[in-house]
Amino acid sequence: MEKNVNKVAEGSAPRWLGQFAGAVRKKWAGFSEIVTHGNFRVACSMFLMGTGQMMYKQWAKGALYLLIQAGFFAYFILAGAADLFGLFTLGTVEANPWYGIEGDDSVLMLITGILSVIMLILYLALYAANVKGVYETQKRVEAGKRPFTFLEDVKQLFDQKFYKTVLFLPVLGVSVFSILPIVFMILIAFTNYGDDIVPPRLVDWVGFENFGKLVAVGEYATTFFKIFGWNILWAVLSTGINYFGGLALALLLNKSCVKGKVFWRFFPILAYAIPGFITMLGFKFMFANGGPVNYYITQGGGDAIFFFGANSTWPARFIGLMVNAWISIPSSMLLATGILSNANKDQYEAAKIDGANAFQQFWYLTLPFVVFATTPVILSQFIGNFNNFGVFYFLRSDVAESAGYVLANDTDLLINWLYKMSIDNNYYSIGAAISLIIFLITSVISLVVYIFSPSYRQEETYR
Amino acid sequence: MTKTIALFLAHALAVIAVLTTFGVLGLQREDQEAQERFTGVLEENVTLQILDNDTAKETGYLDELLNAFNEEYAQYGIKAVDANMGAYTDLEKLGPAGYGPDVVYQANDVLMRYALNKHIQPLPVEEMEAYSQIPIEAWDAYRMQMGEAEYTFAVPVNVQEPLLYYRKDLLPENWQEEWDDDKNGIPDMVENWADLYAFSAEIKASSNGTKFGYMKSLNDQYFAAGYFLSYGGYIFGKDETGAFDTEDIGLSAGESYKGARIIRQLAAVMDNNCADDTITTSAYELLGNGTYFATMTTPDVYESFVENFASSWSRTHRDWTEEEVDAYVRENLVMTKVPALPLSGDLTDREGETMDMTVMGGINGYAISSYTKAPNAALAFLEFASRKEWIARRCELLGIVPARADVVEEEGGVAEDVFDDLLNGRIYIMPGERAMTQVWASLGSLLRFIAEDGLANGTAYDTDDKLIAAMKKLDEDIYSAIHTLS
Repeated sequence: MEKNVNKVAEGSAPRWLGQFAGAVRKKWAGFSEIVTHGNFRVACSMFLMGTGQMMYKQWAKGALYLLIQAGFFAYFILAGAADLFGLFTLGTVEANPWYGIEGDDSVLMLITGILSVIMLILYLALYAANVKGVYETQKRVEAGKRPFTFLEDVKQLFDQKFYKTVLFLPVLGVSVFSILPIVFMILIAFTNYGDDIVPPRLVDWVGFENFGKLVAVGEYATTFFKIFGWNILWAVLSTGINYFGGLALALLLNKSCVKGKVFWRFFPILAYAIPGFITMLGFKFMFANGGPVNYYITQGGGDAIFFFGANSTWPARFIGLMVNAWISIPSSMLLATGILSNANKDQYEAAKIDGANAFQQFWYLTLPFVVFATTPVILSQFIGNFNNFGVFYFLRSDVAESAGYVLANDTDLLINWLYKMSIDNNYYSIGAAISLIIFLITSVISLVVYIFSPSYRQEETYR
Repeated sequence: MTKTIALFLAHALAVIAVLTTFGVLGLQREDQEAQERFTGVLEENVTLQILDNDTAKETGYLDELLNAFNEEYAQYGIKAVDANMGAYTDLEKLGPAGYGPDVVYQANDVLMRYALNKHIQPLPVEEMEAYSQIPIEAWDAYRMQMGEAEYTFAVPVNVQEPLLYYRKDLLPENWQEEWDDDKNGIPDMVENWADLYAFSAEIKASSNGTKFGYMKSLNDQYFAAGYFLSYGGYIFGKDETGAFDTEDIGLSAGESYKGARIIRQLAAVMDNNCADDTITTSAYELLGNGTYFATMTTPDVYESFVENFASSWSRTHRDWTEEEVDAYVRENLVMTKVPALPLSGDLTDREGETMDMTVMGGINGYAISSYTKAPNAALAFLEFASRKEWIARRCELLGIVPARADVVEEEGGVAEDVFDDLLNGRIYIMPGERAMTQVWASLGSLLRFIAEDGLANGTAYDTDDKLIAAMKKLDEDIYSAIHTLS
């Protein structure tokens, strides 16, 4: 069985690539078939959408396609084509509001340009559906069947093709509200938008210059790699602490010897229920230079510790980890408690009979079982922690810079640096470049970890 | 097959033809003629959105001003209303999108950032009544050379500089004998930093660290900058046109390290809160209840101190009437010029020569958004709001230091002192450069480092050489933050 598992894992990446290549080949074969075997009616629909359908007396469907084509052409003639070209130029005339001279708004042009690309893709998709549809009708007719009526087509949308009906609006919503902003952000990373270059001044494309600055320019490269290193360490440590902390608490409270479980479970739940930023502000107050912790230290004859001071790298990082644990362990505990309630008691009995001690039972039974069920959760926690903006923003935002860092302090994560770059210092394009790097890192880590996780490799185990 | 390919290609060509033809046509622009916006002809039946600060709203000043203006311009159908936006609404973001106020009241550094990208309109200030009453030093804060021409972007309303607030009733009973060496009737501890330092040390020691003399968040760049500026430091140099040169950063210039030393020394007479923002937020209450003897801040928050002092005093003097408390508070809460600095840059040097402190300051004023649809009506509003009676009224209600000389003359007192500082170059007007963000970030961190070192009696900044090196590094860091990415 182990061999089979490894085989699946080894074959994972090529399998994906193979599937993709297969899909491309299939599409191409379909297109070739239509071009080769399509009749005059199909050819007509290739030029004017819907005409082929009309020739098969599918009047309503044909008219709809024709209207769609007319609509898209109207859009491209009136705005879309200019928007598409504007995406390349980002404007040529600078506005001068002093004299009422209207110019190009590069940022707006970037957004409308992306929208025009989305519209073009949508048009091409509908065009393909139109051609494919009429060819299918041709095949039906050639097979001696009659073409579908409009009513039958509509019925299909609520039957075999119901998924298309249901997914249409979400896909449209995702395109406009998710894909457009993401693509916008990605494209910003390749412009000089920010600092003094903000509307009414014109923004321009700069290629990979921003990425070059981040990883190759002296102090910035140093800052980037320092923050990146700490970010990875933070994500691993905080995810580990939160996950195993929650698991440990769940195991402890699961023990039959623990009296008043409900009472003890109340405290983590309370910590979970209190809004995170209140907890963080509480910790900030407790560990402030003049806060209660330092009060007792100095009252006890010691010297105050500047936990969040300009030089306090590790104390501040440690407190950050603890605050995050305080906020996150309860949710891990709840999750683990739920999973543990499904654990097979017989396995533990058998293990006991075989002489397994408590640690061995945990290591060979509990941990694999819990990890299997929670790998996606661990991944999401890892990504969440990697991009955990709040902790150090609340705890240490008043230390703007640390020695050896540019526009960042030594507890900042990449996401905090991104914020400082883009919001505090108006380096929007650099901020976008950082966010793109974060996106790449987190996607690669998630993908790799997930592919090699038991949840993916042994997908069938608990089915 | 031929038909399908032919019509498929015909469609593709049609799409490409439409996209390229209308793409190219769509990007063509007609030549637009530049239009002079200030024609002298008032736009009629328009509503002006006026953005003023929160204090102007809270004290009722803005309402009074708007009502009076609306009454005078009712015949033209011009109405000015509160823009009802946050005082720090960003015109740069809202303006180009067609939102935002028509008239903006802001500090010069913010307004001049707007000016850089033409978000505010250059004004024909020489034609305004207030022009001759406002000193050139105040107008300079709003002047900028752009290309061949020099423009002025706002009308100065008030001058901002840090002032010392202190509690007269907390002075030692024998201050005239012990703390008035020059016998000029002014306590030494509010005249000289060295004496204030000594007095602060005495209070802290005698109260076992529960009461303090001078207290201020030492990481506050705006207020701490004065220590560096006084000893020869500067933020940005100027080029041949008189514009700020952001490549010439001079916080380490002259003997500015002495300023850094003063900050380190001051930390020792304060408590652990001095390295962060805690004191800034608690100063109103703690000066009011007598925990602090003095602090430094701008004149526009005088009323907040009065309120906190009165509230605290009422709690301990329940038999006093409200009027008695108010009279006591106003008598004993003193707002005065910041003390003189020791020439040696050593706060333990009470006998040496002193010099006036140069402070970071600013000029607040009214500007007109470039995106206004009614520039002439907006200009009329500026004319109206900068009249003597309205500046005097603002002064009365908000406690500001006016920029008009005739109002200052009538006001006297602290206003005259601040005005004098402005005329004599003791106010370093905050540069209206976008790069100030990077200056504040790096400076704030160094201030915190130094303050924490002073609190812990550490060794990171305990010698002049270390302080000089730190200041030079500061300049380098600022340069890097400004120029590497731009």
